[in-house]
Amino acid sequence: MKRSPAPASPSDLAAQRFLQMNRRQFLRGLGTCIALPMFGSALRPLAGAATTNPAAGLGVTPTGAPLRMAFVYFPNGAHQDYWWPTGEGADFTFGRTMEPLAPLKGAVQVLGGLDHKNATAGNDGAGDHARANATFLTGMRARKTDSTDIQVGISIDQVVAQKVGHQTRFSSLELSCDAVRKAGRCDSGYSCAYQYNLSWASPSMPMAPEPNPRLVFERLFGAGAPGERQKNFRMRQETQKSLLDFVLDDAKSLQRSLSSHDRDKLDEYLTGLRGIEARIQRAERFGELPDPNADTPTGIPPNYGDHMDIMFDLLAMAFETDSTRVATLLLAHDGSNRAFPQIGIAEGHHYCSHHRNEEALMEKIGQIDLYYMKHFAKFLQKLDAKKDVDGKSILHNSMIVYGCGNSDGNRHTHHNLPIVLAGGGGGTLRTGRFVKANSRPMSDLFLSMADRMGVKQLERFGDSSGVLTAV
Amino acid sequence: MAWRPALALALGSVAGAAEQNPAVAAANFHRNVKPIFEKYCLDCHGNGVAKGGVTLDEFASDAELVGKRDLWLALLRNVRGGLMPPREEGAEHVKLAEAEIGAITQWIKFDAFKTDPKNPDPGRVTARRLNRVEYRNTIRDLMGIDFNSEVEFPPDDSGHGFDNNGDVLTLSPLLMEKYLAAAETIVEQAVPTVARVIRERSYSGRDFRGEGRSGEQMNARNPAKVSRSFSVEKADKYRVAFDLEVRGSFDFDASRARLTAFIDGEKRFEEDVMWHERKPLRHVFEVEWKAGNHTIAFELTPLPAADGAPKPVPAAEPDRPRGAPTTAVNVRVNTVQVTGPLSPEHWTKPENHARFFPDGDAPADPAARDAYAEKLLRAFAGRAFRRPADETRVQQLAAIARQVYGQPGKTFEEGIGRAMMAVLASPRFLFRVEQPEAKHAGAAVAPIDEYSLAARLSYFLWATMPDAELMRLAERGELRAQLRPQLTRMLADPKAQMFTRQFTGQWLQARDVESVPINARAVLGPNAPRNRDGRIEFDGIFRRLMRSETEMYFEHILKQDRSLLELVDSDYTFLNERLAKHYGVPDVTGDQMRLVKLPAGSVRGGVLTQGAILAVTSNPTRTSPVKRGLFILENILGTPPPPAPPNVPDLEESKEKFKGREPKLSEMLMLHREKPLCRSCHERMDPLGLAMENFNALGGWRDTDAGQPIEPAGRLVTGEAFADIRELKKVIARERAVDVYRCLTEKMLMYALGRGLEYHDVHTVDEIVDRLQQNGGRMSVLLQSVVESVPFQKQRTQSTAGASVSIHSPAR
Repeated sequence: MKRSPAPASPSDLAAQRFLQMNRRQFLRGLGTCIALPMFGSALRPLAGAATTNPAAGLGVTPTGAPLRMAFVYFPNGAHQDYWWPTGEGADFTFGRTMEPLAPLKGAVQVLGGLDHKNATAGNDGAGDHARANATFLTGMRARKTDSTDIQVGISIDQVVAQKVGHQTRFSSLELSCDAVRKAGRCDSGYSCAYQYNLSWASPSMPMAPEPNPRLVFERLFGAGAPGERQKNFRMRQETQKSLLDFVLDDAKSLQRSLSSHDRDKLDEYLTGLRGIEARIQRAERFGELPDPNADTPTGIPPNYGDHMDIMFDLLAMAFETDSTRVATLLLAHDGSNRAFPQIGIAEGHHYCSHHRNEEALMEKIGQIDLYYMKHFAKFLQKLDAKKDVDGKSILHNSMIVYGCGNSDGNRHTHHNLPIVLAGGGGGTLRTGRFVKANSRPMSDLFLSMADRMGVKQLERFGDSSGVLTAV
Repeated sequence: MAWRPALALALGSVAGAAEQNPAVAAANFHRNVKPIFEKYCLDCHGNGVAKGGVTLDEFASDAELVGKRDLWLALLRNVRGGLMPPREEGAEHVKLAEAEIGAITQWIKFDAFKTDPKNPDPGRVTARRLNRVEYRNTIRDLMGIDFNSEVEFPPDDSGHGFDNNGDVLTLSPLLMEKYLAAAETIVEQAVPTVARVIRERSYSGRDFRGEGRSGEQMNARNPAKVSRSFSVEKADKYRVAFDLEVRGSFDFDASRARLTAFIDGEKRFEEDVMWHERKPLRHVFEVEWKAGNHTIAFELTPLPAADGAPKPVPAAEPDRPRGAPTTAVNVRVNTVQVTGPLSPEHWTKPENHARFFPDGDAPADPAARDAYAEKLLRAFAGRAFRRPADETRVQQLAAIARQVYGQPGKTFEEGIGRAMMAVLASPRFLFRVEQPEAKHAGAAVAPIDEYSLAARLSYFLWATMPDAELMRLAERGELRAQLRPQLTRMLADPKAQMFTRQFTGQWLQARDVESVPINARAVLGPNAPRNRDGRIEFDGIFRRLMRSETEMYFEHILKQDRSLLELVDSDYTFLNERLAKHYGVPDVTGDQMRLVKLPAGSVRGGVLTQGAILAVTSNPTRTSPVKRGLFILENILGTPPPPAPPNVPDLEESKEKFKGREPKLSEMLMLHREKPLCRSCHERMDPLGLAMENFNALGGWRDTDAGQPIEPAGRLVTGEAFADIRELKKVIARERAVDVYRCLTEKMLMYALGRGLEYHDVHTVDEIVDRLQQNGGRMSVLLQSVVESVPFQKQRTQSTAGASVSIHSPAR
């Protein structure tokens, strides 16, 4: 494909900027868990989203820089007293859990009064963890089923990705720090699919997240040693193109011979194939892969904190290279019973969350909440330190929701959810405030984020009642 | 369970009895069932009382009466499990007579569910995607390499407790991407791209030895001579490539040395080495060798130091005192590569060539070459698709191959490899799509064809593709006739270990013991035995021992064809010294896990007393009687309680009763059972869990918990009393044997079919349970019955006649 010498688009500039970072900055950016050599100064500039004519207003800030959206999920609700700030509006004081955010106070909003009614029991009985997880980004009620007829709703990240995703190499990125699945059944008659996925491409099609840092890295930047990735990627791409016709035809012929139910399964296959086709076309349009000239991470680090850090780092790299503008990161599924020996907590998180108002257990919940928050704060600081094409920080040009679909883990409530909205949305968000929304659907926040991402035609989402204008 | 109207319609013709008028079923209800309800049930579930939201005497119409499938399923389970009518404390336990239970069962199965015993509905199995384990095994058998899909692919979801459930095995766009990438990686790794290769052998520094030194690291201060000998078969030209390196310490070091390399004693190069952070030394030589032994050697001779000051040779490195200088100049042999014989007539076939190209090299004649490609790909696709590939597919594959090997510089092998990638990315490989027997085309229910049957058997018992023998039998249409001998053969095959591993891993959750977070220090206390690092830890080895115990135990029952009830209670288990010590079983020494006959009166024997199960049902710092009780109900007795209700009342208020004293766990649970909302279920779970309280969260025995004696005695909700875990096991095995049979049958059937069970499976399960009862509950009877059952043997076919013609037509 012939490419005219493209004028430096914002993304090109972002990519160059990415390369020009000094070594120290980059290493800090990646955390110390993977030691990375510095960028080769001889590397050619990268072309990121080299759309010469970006669709007006789709996924961009008012200055034309990329606007990113991410959702980070922590499990089992929050210790209420420690979570909520005191005061209101710009005049507020963080509670204990949010102390790590203090240096970024001006760049975040704490949102109170957001609810997920569809995560409550309703007529469905137990299963609050499965519902908390399934409803979080969909705003919909999960059908209570163990296998057949899984249904919840398309998630907000996918709604946006389907509109803005064509502008970047990856329309969205789904990450997780939960690598091990429990055998047997999940929560109270809900399929495990509800509990381990945040992102849903359709009401019945979860987007399985990737827990392995090596695989995330290879997907973003190609496999092999630094310098060889571009070549490897090209070869792989050529091979894939030569196979696509056959498998597409094969799938269609097979699909014709199937029962309606099995046809749906083949639909999943065909959707996946079409995604790959689109990706190949986009990759050709975008030209060279960004090559961070860094060693590929080796796999899942044994320490959970390191695992979170490296996934956050990969997310930051993906945003910085404008590889995608939409991402989700499930730190742990709701109901997670992970122990935290690294901070002296031997009991499981879920166990502690049902603290029955016992002081010692409640204190542990507070510690765990703080632990998660520290890692999130570290991520925000990295984004804050990185400069975007318009001279603002990446954080300024992002909207990052950090939250949980359970508010009080002890009682399994789903109103007044613990939510932080970090980043300036390209200057469109009024940061540095504690906003009390007074019992509005969480879906209203999603509408207002989708709006900023340029998805204007979205009138309703999940159980929305209208755009949340208070943010 | 949601019932799809479209399918219900299709089913209308499945079972002949389905046409039956609801009025007939209702009349049978009033005649045969209602009197029983009146006698036992309506006090709580009738006459306006609806305990638990259940009434048994208010139905708006006959159709509604018959249509309440969920109600009848629950009722059947409760009545047969002895849970209803409930036992009242202090009163005599009213039990239904066998005949009464029989009448209810008959009506539910044949009137409400309209089961036609001669032609039962086999149910619908969704086309199943291979899960990660099946994919890995299948690639191993098809391609001969190990592809670690458990790392490369995201985890599979599971439904009904098993990760081979077709409905939940979704295929996300990410996974599709990975399948395509995996197809390439696997072919690149497994399939040779050329017909001939020049042999290469490579030696690393460690392979060079001499006088206590190796070529891995030679210090310039110390003289060294290291060498390596090897033999070649052919007299010919060979190429020897040296790749060495000078590696200096971070700080400068003044030492110098002369490095000399020899081939068969002849000096080939010589170089004076001095400090460099990293300096490669690469040399290539061609040699004419005779067949036989040859030697490559390196010699390092220290020279006066660069700064002129003669340095003493320091003592050997390991003895270096603390604080001594850490600088050094080292020479390291990275690799020495010997390539040859170099003459083309001596080139050899690459590894694996015969596996993928059984007829040898491609003919030079283009037409014969293309025909060879077709033949290879027809056979390969047939194995990969687990049925003959249709000719259109074969032609397309051959075209892909030609497109590649037709290009200059590309080999025939590369072309075939490319087509093989397409096969591995095909939905016919990734999904298990089943077809009915061609001769039954048009019937609403038909036996699956023998290729489908071969795949069902192999994925059930081996978690991998059918082998050549199964495929051969299927091709001849003889598999069905040989089902029993094949079952025996398959179970004797080492691949059947996958069945044990997958089934026990999920049914008993034994696989979770490898990851369950248990804090050994918190469980055992600070005085517990420590490991080599001085830590109290529930380490990986220990976790795997526990998993092995459960797997070997199940395997034993399988291989020795023992009774399923031995899963609950027996006088043996599988231990090694470490696990035996942990359990307090004497006289077991050594690391080998083996069958151990337990001493009389031992508490062990049976899965409920195995470490894996006791650990996975615990919290990180303590046991959970509720989880353990639930485990028994769900996985042994098959009578799971409904999930906990929302809005569980606060235990806090009740806790005040204890006036500041920390209540015992059993007292807390007792409080639980005082709440009407909690009681009906916790009175089923808690006594079972409390009976297991003598085992800590790691499965070790204890008499007290937090200084309080354990009180394991209790009663099943059905009334049977037990004093401790020993008696509980006996009570379950003796009194609740039928429940155990039914539970295991259901689990096994779900695993074998890859779907959840539905109302129309009740009769199938009953028939298997009957056979088990008549045959002492033998494992072989269960497996035979499962593979011979209607749901395993048959399928619903589609009702759309238009499309059916093409699939039922033979593939070739």
